[in-house]
Amino acid sequence: MPRPRALENIRVVDFSWVRAGPWATRWLGALGAEIIKIEWPESERGRLPSSTTPRDVEVNLNTSGNFNDTNVNKKSLSLNVRSPKGLEIVKRLIGISDIVIENFSSRVLRNWGLGYEAMCEIKPDIVYVSMSGYGHTGRNHQYTTFGPVAQSVAGLTYLSGLPDKPPAGWGWSYMDDTGGMYGAMCALTGLYHRNQTGRGQHIDLSQMVSSVPLNGPALLDITANGRGSRRAGFPPGNRAHWPGTPLINNYRGPTVAPHNAYRTHPGGYNDWCVIVCHSDQEWQRLAQVMGAPVWAAADKFATVAGRLEHQEELDAHIENWSQTLGKYELTELSQAAGVRALPVQSAEDRVEHDPQLRDRRMYLPMEHPALGVHKVQNAPFKMSETPAENHLPSPLIGQHTREIVEGLLGFSREELRAGFADGTFWPTQRARFPYMEDMLR
Amino acid sequence: MTEVRGPLTGLRVLELADEKGQFCGKLLGDLGADVVKIEPPGGEPCRHVGPFLDDIPHPERSLSFWYYNTSKRGITLGLATADGRALFRRLAAEADVILETFQPGRLAAMGLDHDSLREQNPGLILCSLTPFGQTGPWRDFLSSDLLHLAAGGEMASSGYDAADVPDAPPIAPGGGQAWHMGCHFAYISIMAALVYRTVSGLGQYIDVSIHEACALTTEAAIANYVYRGEVLLRQTGRHHAAGVTPRTQFRAKDGTYVTALVGGRLTPKYIGELADLLDSNGMAGDLRDPKYQDAAVIAANSSHIIEDLVGGYIASLPAEEVYHAAQKRGFTWGAVRTPEEVLDDPHLQDRDFWQQVEHPDLGRSFVYPGAAAIYHDSPWRISRRAPLIGEHNAEIYCEELGLFRGELSVLSESQAI
Repeated sequence: MPRPRALENIRVVDFSWVRAGPWATRWLGALGAEIIKIEWPESERGRLPSSTTPRDVEVNLNTSGNFNDTNVNKKSLSLNVRSPKGLEIVKRLIGISDIVIENFSSRVLRNWGLGYEAMCEIKPDIVYVSMSGYGHTGRNHQYTTFGPVAQSVAGLTYLSGLPDKPPAGWGWSYMDDTGGMYGAMCALTGLYHRNQTGRGQHIDLSQMVSSVPLNGPALLDITANGRGSRRAGFPPGNRAHWPGTPLINNYRGPTVAPHNAYRTHPGGYNDWCVIVCHSDQEWQRLAQVMGAPVWAAADKFATVAGRLEHQEELDAHIENWSQTLGKYELTELSQAAGVRALPVQSAEDRVEHDPQLRDRRMYLPMEHPALGVHKVQNAPFKMSETPAENHLPSPLIGQHTREIVEGLLGFSREELRAGFADGTFWPTQRARFPYMEDMLR
Repeated sequence: MTEVRGPLTGLRVLELADEKGQFCGKLLGDLGADVVKIEPPGGEPCRHVGPFLDDIPHPERSLSFWYYNTSKRGITLGLATADGRALFRRLAAEADVILETFQPGRLAAMGLDHDSLREQNPGLILCSLTPFGQTGPWRDFLSSDLLHLAAGGEMASSGYDAADVPDAPPIAPGGGQAWHMGCHFAYISIMAALVYRTVSGLGQYIDVSIHEACALTTEAAIANYVYRGEVLLRQTGRHHAAGVTPRTQFRAKDGTYVTALVGGRLTPKYIGELADLLDSNGMAGDLRDPKYQDAAVIAANSSHIIEDLVGGYIASLPAEEVYHAAQKRGFTWGAVRTPEEVLDDPHLQDRDFWQQVEHPDLGRSFVYPGAAAIYHDSPWRISRRAPLIGEHNAEIYCEELGLFRGELSVLSESQAI
């Protein structure tokens, strides 16, 4: 018997695009909600441009690999929401849904005539999550973000790098991933509150604002201690403290050494291990793993204070040793002895070489009608009663239009054909995909 | 008028969490749940993590502990003692959610696993948030924020162009983000279980892996590999990429930086808008030359446009000025700010983001960062500062569980609380 899913019978009208919004609804879908992704090929962002289409596959609206991974567990309705008929269909869908989620700029839905008040007239207990760059209120609400801009303005980019160098920042849109997390968190929290009280609400999430609390201790250091972050030795790269600068906590955890990334054999681009010793005891264990070399027995390395003071020398010694081992070998040897060490892992490492992720079935193959069989990322949590599993590949654009308008809304086949003919379900001038022709038979 | 309360009002959460899970407890508490933080007698070791108020180390002065433990009540409880475990069972009988971050197997070894606790409380949701989850070859490995950012893939994506820092290591972004990544997914799984419980009445057990949460937080890196076989380069202040991409981080007149996403966007229309922006400070250069209405000419001159013109414009103004001038004209650019600069942002004040949190024991209040989102019907608010060690022992053990004050003393002497 199939296991129940946590969000069984929950329906989501999903206007979201690009990354943060779709990453939110992907997880609601994995948890069992029916996600109706409303798309329009003329104003689509997320499927194209694609830099993740396999080399032997034509680039089109249905062949982005990253879109596939970001949009599993959803259905697609292609619909011109800017037409009166399209808007009417959206309203009927909202009337039978629980959650509306979107990540447009702050005025878009309201300008369509779909502000929260309008939604409430259709569905009084709707949970509406807006995921805009700066939120729907505040003087800069019309400013826009991408992940890197939200990260910069909110103070996250500055946290990453070596002292006296430009910020290294984040090599990806952390706040598209994490913005997606907050979108899903808001939707679930609003849904729980609705189930408890019978009341829906508008939850106004901002990508920029939600980045700020991810810097909490640094902010308290300024509000309580008056200490800013433009200071010598900050940020200290991978270290807990930069040698030769005042001993101030860097907001990552305890101030200790060793605490760094070290090159490993054979010295390739991602051949690095990180090693951290939280205590003298852990340091003594590392010394044993390294074969108890004479240098490690020196008094200056015996205490945390000494190791911090002589960190350059300490790190050089450790790297001489680490370069003799492969990163997985170093990890196994160290962890077996109770030493904190793990490899720097590329995407290839995670998918192909990480024994833990393999054992936990993190990447399982899934078949997509246009892309074939590829590995898709799974949930990082295992729920005993309601497992969160990927159950649908990402939808082809408009793949579920018939299923939704006929099955959910009760349209006839004639009405479906009329909607294709008048540009409601697909632009009249645009070539249809073969599965659309099948739909109309 | 009834008090407007947070969306999780009425939920009782027991938190047995260290640095790995305290942020999840804070999120639940700030959103209205009654979170009871259970610390070992003497206090949770996270109280010893700096920075400290006025740089005076003390378990009640850790700003890190303060931040991550708002909106919680605090009790001490010695689970190593039989009395402590009996008290825990009584608390668990009335709880909706337990969040724990012990080593896998430790709760079971104490007879406090989900199977035994749910006998008296079938609706109980028990979430174990651990470095690698409850199973697998790395289950018992040690970790840290840095270790997770290495193995999760964050470091492989972040770092420097060789031109900026030759031979640079991969860089782990700061702020303790690995714990945040784990806590966000833990929160999602707990809320999903709670929603399911509202319709089924059933609780469940949840096994969350921080390593997996981190491995999921690198945007398209996995898709780049799975669909294209690409291993990505680290670049200063911008996205990882299969090949070198144009710079997006520029030094402003005040020595700070601006993130300006320009490369890949250079159409004739964009050039016109860019010329207007640069011209607002007399820095348009040759950008109004009609030759730039030709896409091929733009492509041939993209490095001149980005490096000389955009770079020159940004170098002519302070970063905050560039940020606002650009955004007002529709450019998605931003200043690279420090935390203290964020504090002065009037947009956040308009949204009532900062919260004064009273510390009655110190006779002072401090400004804390507040809500990531505005919940219009049920506010996200910090309800109290972090608890002092055992601050609510009497309130919970005596008033709620009905122990006598004398019993508290005995339990304290035996390290049960």
